[in-house]
Amino acid sequence: MAINLRTAAVETREQRLGTITAWDEGTAAKLAEQSEYSRGCGAGCGVGNKGSKLCELESPFTQGGSCAEQVVQGQASGILDAVLVQHSPIGCAANQPMNNTNFRNTLARRGMAVRNSLALSTNLTERDMVYGGVEKLQETIREAYRRHNPKAVFIATSCATGIIGDDVETAAREVQEEIGIPVVPVFCEGFKSKHWSTGFDAIQHGVLRQIVKKNPGKKQEDLVNIIILSGTDVYTPMLAELGLRANLVLNLATIEQLEQMSEAAASVSFCYTLASYFTAALEQEFGVPEIKAPQPYGFAGTDAWLRAIARATNREEVTEAYIAREHARVRPIVEELREQLKGLTGYVAMGASFAHGVVVVLRELGIDVPGTLVFHHDPVYDSGAPERDTLGHLVEETGDVENFTVGIRQHYQFYNLLQRVNPDFIVIRHGGLSPLASRLGKPSLQLGDASFPLGYQGIINLGAEILAVLGQKKFHEDLAAHSSLPYRRSWLDEKDPFALARAAVA
Amino acid sequence: MVVALKERGDGLPGAAEQSGPIEQLRYACSMGAMQTAAAIPRVIPITHCGPGCSDKQHNALTAANGYQGGGWGGGGVAPSSNATQREVIFGGTDRLEELIEATLKILDADLFVVVTGCIPDLVGDDVGSVVRGFQSRGAPVVYAETGGFRGNNFTGHEIVARAIIDQFVGAYDGEREPGLVNLWSLLPYQNTFWRGDLGEIKRLLEGIGLRVNLLFGPDSGGIAEWKAIPRAQFNLVLSPWLGLETAAHLQEKYGQPFLHIPLIPVGAKAAGEVLREIAAFAGVSERAEAFIAAEERTYYTYIEAFSEFYSQYRWGLPARFAIAADAAYALALSKFAVRQLGLLPARLIVTDNPPGEYRDAIAAEFRALDHDTEGTVEFLEDSYLIHQQIRSAAFGHKPPLILGSTWERDLAKELKGVLMEIAFPASYEVVLTRSNVGYRGAITLLERIYSTTVSRTA
Ligand code: SF4
Repeated sequence: MAINLRTAAVETREQRLGTITAWDEGTAAKLAEQSEYSRGCGAGCGVGNKGSKLCELESPFTQGGSCAEQVVQGQASGILDAVLVQHSPIGCAANQPMNNTNFRNTLARRGMAVRNSLALSTNLTERDMVYGGVEKLQETIREAYRRHNPKAVFIATSCATGIIGDDVETAAREVQEEIGIPVVPVFCEGFKSKHWSTGFDAIQHGVLRQIVKKNPGKKQEDLVNIIILSGTDVYTPMLAELGLRANLVLNLATIEQLEQMSEAAASVSFCYTLASYFTAALEQEFGVPEIKAPQPYGFAGTDAWLRAIARATNREEVTEAYIAREHARVRPIVEELREQLKGLTGYVAMGASFAHGVVVVLRELGIDVPGTLVFHHDPVYDSGAPERDTLGHLVEETGDVENFTVGIRQHYQFYNLLQRVNPDFIVIRHGGLSPLASRLGKPSLQLGDASFPLGYQGIINLGAEILAVLGQKKFHEDLAAHSSLPYRRSWLDEKDPFALARAAVA
Repeated sequence: MVVALKERGDGLPGAAEQSGPIEQLRYACSMGAMQTAAAIPRVIPITHCGPGCSDKQHNALTAANGYQGGGWGGGGVAPSSNATQREVIFGGTDRLEELIEATLKILDADLFVVVTGCIPDLVGDDVGSVVRGFQSRGAPVVYAETGGFRGNNFTGHEIVARAIIDQFVGAYDGEREPGLVNLWSLLPYQNTFWRGDLGEIKRLLEGIGLRVNLLFGPDSGGIAEWKAIPRAQFNLVLSPWLGLETAAHLQEKYGQPFLHIPLIPVGAKAAGEVLREIAAFAGVSERAEAFIAAEERTYYTYIEAFSEFYSQYRWGLPARFAIAADAAYALALSKFAVRQLGLLPARLIVTDNPPGEYRDAIAAEFRALDHDTEGTVEFLEDSYLIHQQIRSAAFGHKPPLILGSTWERDLAKELKGVLMEIAFPASYEVVLTRSNVGYRGAITLLERIYSTTVSRTA
C-alpha cells in the first residue's frame, strides 16, 4: 500500500483504501469483520484494488453531499500565511462564507487575532470553458502574491477545469519560478472521488510534495506533529505534561510549521480518517514514525494513545504519572455524570473514525448507543497498522453497535435510521441532518469544535454538553408538533433506509 | 482527461466579456438559483451537478447568510445527482432520469425544478429531453440550465423563473384581472431580509388596494400564484435590474404590461412616491392616499420619538456612510440614508454584477440620490478592491457607517466604524422576519443602525 508522491494528483481513497459510502448489513462487528484490515467480505465486488473489497449499495435517489474541493478549501484557507486560489467558476468558491465563519471562530478559540480567511477564485466564465483558464489562473496567482505576500500559494482545481483539461501543473510551475515561493497545485475535482475525504489526502499530498523539508537538518526530538481539525488547542497543554511540543497542522498552521514536519519525533492524530495519508507518508518518505495506537477517546483509548507517544519519544515515566493524575481527576466526575445520564439513548452520525471515537466516549458515560451512522468507511488506513483499526477497537473495548450504517449524509435515510432506534438525542458533525432530527423532536449536539470529545477531559465535556442539550428538548418537541416533512407517506412508512438501493440490484 | 465541449445552440459570449479574480465572494453561481425554486412554497429543486455544488450554494445562501434555514424543500433536502467520473465520461442523462424517477417516488411537492451545474452543461447532457419525457407523463417537473460558469445566482434566478413560466405556467389567452399584480423584486435568500421585505411590500401593495402574486416566501400562495401570473393586470419590477428580463418575457408571451420602478422604497418619503406611482399606473389612486396618510401618521410618531435621541445623543453619530451591496439594496438604503437620515455618501458600490446594458441607468439613479446630493456608483465584485475603495473614502472625523457584509468586519474595526451587515454574506446575523423596507422596515433599520452605534463602545 505504498504511497506515491511522484504524481501530482493523489490516488483517491476508493483506489487506495477501498473506501465505501453505503453499507447497511447490520452490526459494527460485522463491518469490522468484513474489513478486517484487508480481508473483505469475500464477494469481491468492491472497487478497491489495494484495500479490502466490500460490497457497496448504490441508491438511485441521492441528496447533495460535499466534495473533495470543499475539504481542500477548508484546509488550505486555514493555513495562516498561505493563500488559496480556487481555479473554478464562482460556484465552487461559494463555500467561502461558511468557511470564514469556521475560520474566525477557530481563531477566537485558539486565542489568535480574528480575521477573514484568504481565498481567491479565478472566476471562470463561459468564455474560459472554451478557450481554457490557464492564463486567468496564472494572473490570479500573481495577484494573490501581490496582494498578500504569502509564503505559499495553493491551487484547488475543480470539476470544470478537470473537464476542460487545463494544464494546472505546468501553469503552477511557471509562476512558482517567477515569484519564488511554492505554488502547490491540489487536484481535487469533485467528480473524481465519491467521498469528500479524498480532499484531505489531496491537500496533504501537495504539502508533502512541495512544502515539507526534504532534507531536514536536525531532528527535533521533543516535537510531535498533530494532525487536527478546527477546534480548541487541547494538545499543547497535554503534551507539555510529557515534556513535548505540539506541532499542530494543518489548521491554523504556518508554512514554517509545515516545513518542519519532517524534523518531528512522531506524528499522531485524533482522527484517522483525516490523518491516514499524512502520517503514513511522513513515515514512509521522511522517516517520521506514525503513532500506532487507537484514537484518544475514553480512558482505554487515551491511555493507549499516550503510551504509544511515550514509547516513541522515550517519555514513559512522566506519561504514566500524567495518566494516573488524570484518572484520579476525571474518574470521580465521570461517575457523577454517569449517574445523571443514566437510562439515556444516543445516536451518533458523523465522519467514520470520529464516530468510532465518539461512540466510545458515550459508552464511557453509560449511555446506550444502539445505532451509528458513518458518512463513509475506510476498510483500512494507509499505513495498514492493525493498532489503528478504529472500528475494531470500538467493538472490542465497548461492545457491538447493533445498527451500524454507512451512508453519505442523506437526509431522507436519516428519517428511517432514527425510526430504528428512537434515541433521546443525536451527536453529530456536519450540517444537513440535524434539522431533520429537530422536526422529529430530537435535539442534536453539534460537534463543531473537533477537540471537544477527546482525551480524558473530553469525556467530561461530552457529558456536560449532553445535559445541556437535553434542555433543548422542549423546543424540538414543540417544533415536531407543528412541522411537516417533504417525504411521501410511503417513504415515511418504509423501514429500510436503503430500500431503493436494494430494489435496484434485486 | 479532456472531454470535448459540445456545441451549444445559444452561441458564445463575445471576446469582450472578461472577468477578473474574485476574493471573498458576494454571490453564488447560477445554480444558486436552486434556492429560487426552494423559495416557492412546496417547490423542490433537483440539482444535477457534482457532489459538492448543491451543498456549497445553499450553505452560502441560507446558512452563512443570516442563518435563514434552507426551506422545506431546499438545503439538504434537495435531490442531487452527485455526478461522478461515469457521468463525466459517458454523460449524465441516464443518471438524471433515474434520479427524477426516484424523486417522484420519495418526495411530495407541487413542482420540481431541475437546475444544472457545470458538469452536465460542459459534457452536453440533453437535460431538456429527459425532463420533457417526464412532462409528457404529466409529472410536475421543469428544467433550467444554470451551469455555474454561465453567471451568478441573479441571472440564474431569471433562468429559473422563465423555466417555470414557459414549462409549467404555459399559454394563456383568458381575461386579465384588474388590481392583480405580479411582483418581481429582491432575490430570495441572497438578500438576507427577503422574507420580511417581501411581506412588507405585499402589505403596502394590498394597502393601496391591489392583490399580489408575491411568488416567493412564506407570504406567497405557492404555485397557485405562479399559475395565476398571466391573469395579472401587470408586472411590477421593483428593483434596478433584476426581474426586467422576466417582465419583458411576460410582455412578449402574454401581452402583459410592466411597470419598472428601480427603487425599493425605504422610509416614508420613498414609500409615498413609489406607492403613488404604482397606484397611478394601476388606477387605484384614491385608496392609496388614505393608506399613505395612515402609514405616515404612525411612521412619524416613531420618528418624533427617535428625534429626542438623534438630536441629543452626546457621544457621536455617524455622518457619512459607505455601502457595498447588490444594486437593489445599495440604491434603496442609500436613498433612505441620504434623504431621511441626513447622512452623506462616502462610497457607493454595487456588487451583483448587473449586465452591461443596465449599468448606465443604475448609475443615473445613484446620481440623483436627492435634489442636492449626487452619488457616484462603482461596480465591483472583488472584496479586495471594494475594501481598498472604502478605505480611501473620506468619512470626515465621525465614525464611518459601513453598510456591507461580514467581509467588512475587519475593515470596520480598522476604520473604527459602525458595521451593519445588510448584504450577503451576513454571517453575524440571525434573520427571520426582520425587514428593512417600507414604513415598518425603515424603522427597524433605523433602530438597528443606532443600536449598533451606541453599543459600539459597550
Ligand atoms: S463543480 Fe465540482 S469541485 Fe466545484 S463544487 Fe461542484 S463538485 Fe465541487
